Amino acid sequence: MLYDFLIVGLSIGILYGLVALGISLIYSGLDIVHFAHGEIFMFGAFFGLVLYDEAGFNYPITLFVAMILAGIMGVIIERVFYRRLTSQGGGYTVAGMGMIICGFGMAIILQNIAFLIWGANGRPMHVNFGMPVELGTITLPQSYVWILVVSVALMAVLHLFLKHTKLGLAIRAVAANKDIAYLMGVNVPLMISLIFGVACALAAAGGVLIAPINYVQVEMGYLMLIKAFAAAVVGGFGSLPGAILGGLMVGVFETLGAAYISGSHKDIYAFLLLIFVLMVRPTGLLGVAAKVKA
Amino acid sequence: MNALVQKSTASLDALKRIHPLMPWFASFVLLLPLPLLALNDYQIYLLNVICIMIILATGLNIVKGFCGQVTVGHVALYAIGAYTSGVLSVKFGVPFWFCLPAAIAVTMLAGALVGIPSFRLEGAYLALATLGFAQSVEIYIRVTNYLGSASGLGGIAPPSIGNFVFYDYFRYYYLVMPFMLIAVYASFAILRSATGRAFMAVREDALSAAATGVNVRRYKLIAFMLSAVYAGLAGSLFAHMVPGYVHPNNFTVIEMVTLLLMVVLGGIGNIWGGIIGAILVTIIADLTRDFYFYQLLMFGLVIVGTVLFMPKGIGGIIDRYFVSKRFVAAREKTAEQKRAEAAAAKSGES
Repeated sequence: MLYDFLIVGLSIGILYGLVALGISLIYSGLDIVHFAHGEIFMFGAFFGLVLYDEAGFNYPITLFVAMILAGIMGVIIERVFYRRLTSQGGGYTVAGMGMIICGFGMAIILQNIAFLIWGANGRPMHVNFGMPVELGTITLPQSYVWILVVSVALMAVLHLFLKHTKLGLAIRAVAANKDIAYLMGVNVPLMISLIFGVACALAAAGGVLIAPINYVQVEMGYLMLIKAFAAAVVGGFGSLPGAILGGLMVGVFETLGAAYISGSHKDIYAFLLLIFVLMVRPTGLLGVAAKVKA
Repeated sequence: MNALVQKSTASLDALKRIHPLMPWFASFVLLLPLPLLALNDYQIYLLNVICIMIILATGLNIVKGFCGQVTVGHVALYAIGAYTSGVLSVKFGVPFWFCLPAAIAVTMLAGALVGIPSFRLEGAYLALATLGFAQSVEIYIRVTNYLGSASGLGGIAPPSIGNFVFYDYFRYYYLVMPFMLIAVYASFAILRSATGRAFMAVREDALSAAATGVNVRRYKLIAFMLSAVYAGLAGSLFAHMVPGYVHPNNFTVIEMVTLLLMVVLGGIGNIWGGIIGAILVTIIADLTRDFYFYQLLMFGLVIVGTVLFMPKGIGGIIDRYFVSKRFVAAREKTAEQKRAEAAAAKSGES
């Protein structure tokens, strides 16, 4: 019984990690928290639904196309809306408060656009993965296997991209210091768009992966944002391995809490964990030092 | 237009010279017959809602505008105030005049709880933590049977003084309106006091505020607690208004967005702006009730648009108008002086 819950918690957790990875990536690159990230996740799930159920692509292609679509969407949002604010400089005083409020407004806009297009009802994504996998005494539905495998693969690809390519090096340079990166000939605005695109693609992958087990609905992004943020903070904000670790912790904590304490309060546990970590160790588990700004 | 503004500012100054509180008394007298002008009961109800929203927006302005702490979870404090008042009234039969202070006290404690993370969190961290708080409070109310869960908490007794019961919107207005005026006056008083200056120092730069001897943690906490007092007051007033019914749907994301829009559109940190925002948004939200589906989309667009193109909001425009007027007046004065000096010099020469 406990192992079943652990497996479920881990696979949900790795999804939280995937979305948290995007939030952390944007944070480390731009020093902003992207408030509309949960909505990108929701859009990704809907893209997946439309591509799979209505256009009839198979699952891996759906995943890939949805990621690309969401990535383009992220780039457009960054270019059209956030660019204006970040180019005005972004401290987090009242002037920088604009960034947060703008992100919040963006989330509301995206949510309502999705609501107008797809309606308020939750829709299932009918994917037939075949028989569950038997692992000793545990039977594991294939959708969970997909979640684990794809997430780990995406994380590995991201790691290779950031650590072993020239483009990844440029992104890390932008994250470290934008001015000096500029002087070294890095195209900083392009890199920022790229960061946004990659982060949004990761969120969309999370959405497509969760679609077969959960209903796809307009309100799914909102809770996801809070949980992914909790994951990012628990692991240490801005730290990419920390985001994954935090996601796993939040997933397991939440599933075990729902199983053994009270199922109807399930969505509160992540927040409790967040507050606890903030009180006890605000840098998170793997965070290096608390960044005062942002 | 200019003449009108000049006349009204001049008469305000004249009132202030009689007694500093005179303008407030005058506005009280002016607001007294307002419900008589309303065409129907619904408009009086709207007046009450506007008053409650002004209290909420003013409270939010204290923590957000004066102290610069980004919180989006203000609606949760409002809910806590409303539910404390409601539960005390329904389950324990406590009269309104004890429910109100109790609700304010409980909300203040909750505000302190929200404020404690602000010691360590700034900007977006804090915004998300408060967002999570608001979400958790709403979910908690929705699933807890004691609080009426998803069917709401009904039968909250209307307030009364002696035999006079505030049982309809018309009477309730005369309870809400004075509270609103007191709340707005108090926020001006806070802004002018040493506490208000400390808030602004924390907002501009927490580090240099600390270096000049402002206890940053203490003032952040005070700001959160003060704004929670406003939220508790508004919540309690809302809960006891006819029909004495609170529901988790009254405290959702929609309310959060509306509240944020009021403050952002009015201009963050501008009390008059917040009030204008509260009035405008409540009326517009009511007028566009038929387009319910598009309302939130519109609100979101206005929030983003305001931040991008009008970061100081309506209050900023008004401020600039007065500042530029003063500037023009000062320039004309110096020009006149110069002319007079030149004339004097000319007469001296001849």
